[in-house]
Amino acid sequence: MRTAIVSGAIVALCAIILISGSGDDTGPNAFIIIGVSQGAVYGLVSLGLVLVYKGSRVFNFAQGEFGSIAAFIVYVLIEQVRSMEIPYGVAALIAVIGVVIIGLIMERVIVRPLLNAPRVTLLVATIAFALFAIGTQLLLFLPEPKSLAPIISKIPGGGNVELFNFIVEPQRLLVLAILVVVAGVLGYFFSRTDLGLAVLATSQDAFATRVVGIGVERMSRFIWGTAAFLGAVAGILYVPLSGALTPGVMTSGVLIPSFTGAVIGGMTSLPGAFVGGVIVGIVQALSNWGSGHYYLGERLWQDIVPGGPDVLLMLVLLLVLLIRPQGLLGSEA
Amino acid sequence: MATATEAITAPLPAVEHERWRPSTAGWAARLTVLAIIFGGIFWITAIVPQYWADRISLAAIFAIIGLSLNIVLGYVGQVSLGHHAFVGIAAFVAAYYVTEKAGCTPEEGCALGDFALGMVFAVVSGGVAAMLLGLVALRIKGLYLALITLTYGFMAERSIFEIPFLTRGGAGMPAPRPDGFTTDRAFAYLTFAFLALVIFVDWRFLKSKVGRAVLSIKHSEPVAASYGINVTAYKVLAFVLSGLFAGMAGGLMAFRATNVVSNDFNFSIALLWVLMVVVGGLGNRTGVIFISAFFALFPFLLELWSWLDHYVSGSFGRSLSVVTVTVGALLAILTVIQFPGGFAEQVSPITRWLRGQKFTAHPEGHGHAPKEKGEKKHALLSKLGLHKGSEGKTDGASEEEAKVKEDVDA
Repeated sequence: MRTAIVSGAIVALCAIILISGSGDDTGPNAFIIIGVSQGAVYGLVSLGLVLVYKGSRVFNFAQGEFGSIAAFIVYVLIEQVRSMEIPYGVAALIAVIGVVIIGLIMERVIVRPLLNAPRVTLLVATIAFALFAIGTQLLLFLPEPKSLAPIISKIPGGGNVELFNFIVEPQRLLVLAILVVVAGVLGYFFSRTDLGLAVLATSQDAFATRVVGIGVERMSRFIWGTAAFLGAVAGILYVPLSGALTPGVMTSGVLIPSFTGAVIGGMTSLPGAFVGGVIVGIVQALSNWGSGHYYLGERLWQDIVPGGPDVLLMLVLLLVLLIRPQGLLGSEA
Repeated sequence: MATATEAITAPLPAVEHERWRPSTAGWAARLTVLAIIFGGIFWITAIVPQYWADRISLAAIFAIIGLSLNIVLGYVGQVSLGHHAFVGIAAFVAAYYVTEKAGCTPEEGCALGDFALGMVFAVVSGGVAAMLLGLVALRIKGLYLALITLTYGFMAERSIFEIPFLTRGGAGMPAPRPDGFTTDRAFAYLTFAFLALVIFVDWRFLKSKVGRAVLSIKHSEPVAASYGINVTAYKVLAFVLSGLFAGMAGGLMAFRATNVVSNDFNFSIALLWVLMVVVGGLGNRTGVIFISAFFALFPFLLELWSWLDHYVSGSFGRSLSVVTVTVGALLAILTVIQFPGGFAEQVSPITRWLRGQKFTAHPEGHGHAPKEKGEKKHALLSKLGLHKGSEGKTDGASEEEAKVKEDVDA
């Protein structure tokens, strides 16, 4: 019920801004569209974060790196071994499978031995894994940015997609479509299937779950595999949009907004993660637009406060944690 | 009256501690080893080429940063992923003061007084930055603090480090070294002095009432609160002390580089700092100092093997400093999973011996079995699914309470 109200409010708000600003070239419309698709990527990463938090009660700081690794695998397969002419879809599939395997290895090697350790220890372990991934990427690929082609650059049959007078890159639409599909599948999985319910039960009380005969280790494996999958998909979708593939790109660019999204949504709620990610995307885009559009006296806001959207993001995170730590849709703090 | 005074002043009945003490020869041996270690560090700094002295001063600065993070991670038991914000802000404040306010230039140098004032501003700005964050963030429970510090670091990177008058854009703000310490070797000795000051303050802090209160918070917040310890206030206090140390490190970093560029303070170095404290051994001063220095020197040590340098820069086109990130992260993973005590635990027989105890892996006066055994047993129980029983719970609670009591009584 709350989910419906919150998402309805977001859609209504976007619609009001879009309709009232239509026809205005310098207005926020283009930024809304960018923000929603950006938010969709955050939503994918947030889903992974929430999933891991529900399963292992830890913030997975390596969630972003799943995406960077996947993007680099795609880059290597497409750009560096050009002679083999691997189709994009196959390369993406290989990357996703590879990252899921990496996620499973991480679960086995790092998470499992620390299941009974203090949470801070496991947190540090995920940080170490993220830094290991970033360091390896730095070693193998120079820090100079590379570009990765989008999955679809043209709509089949030609022509452009226009929304409210703005040409939208097909990749953005694809991101939105994939997020909706993934959210739908996950929602169905966790509410209707036995395996999904078992995962939820494990996250609530591992001991009780074990008593009724559910393998907690299997659930943990499943959770980390799914999280790696979500991260990989987000990475492959986001990097062509952002334009630059650098080592640790998903950690420096996506992880923090995604965490903020997950916290806004409530950290334990899967629809919340989805909604929170989109909210963060819209807020970021609008504040970007606003700080480049409005003046304080003679100067633009972005000249007075450099990095305004990042400051705003931190304030939003602080406010949510101080005022409503259970988030918009979370059930517990 | 007289009897009462007598009773108070009368010597307490002697308690037989049976505490083992080394002989005079034993003390002499220990002092010799200590002298060799400290003398060796100074001697090496004195004989190496200037550019190596510069690297050694970086190691000392890293040690200060390690001790700063050790307060948050090791004593309070919280994670700070935004320490590069404190260090960076302090570096820019120090550089801004000496260049813009005191009028120092790279050609004319800088008076010692201006340098001192610049360092004071750096230390204070680090403390203030930490206090502002701590006052808000430490009210938030659990792992969320890590998240907020990470966001804070990012905010600083994107916003504060981009303020044109403070950072002069990409060109950086010059921070000339003070007169008399312009050479790398003299500056290295100066950083040693600052490191010694930090070690002293850290040592006294931990021995004070505040230090004991902070340690008890780490063991268990509810139990500490039940002893009347203001949990949030002490956490903020520890956080501020950490910020002060970080500020000092930032100021020294500015003068070491003589030109502060915002690129030097990015989040991956903040993560590396966290990992070096973990590898060093949480809460252990000696381990943290040595491993921090090791992390700082690691790329340069690798460089000594010219074939390795040739291979890495030849095939990857990268400087060896990148290797530190990978190797450091691997060491941290290994530490967390296999050796939770870190480097400190591995060398604990040596440090214990130097402190005038026997050369053993187990601390004196603790009759029970080493801790790992207990942990293993716990893990076994949990494997059998027995650890959640009521027995285990009460056991754990009373153990925690005993630990806190030990701290408070000490």
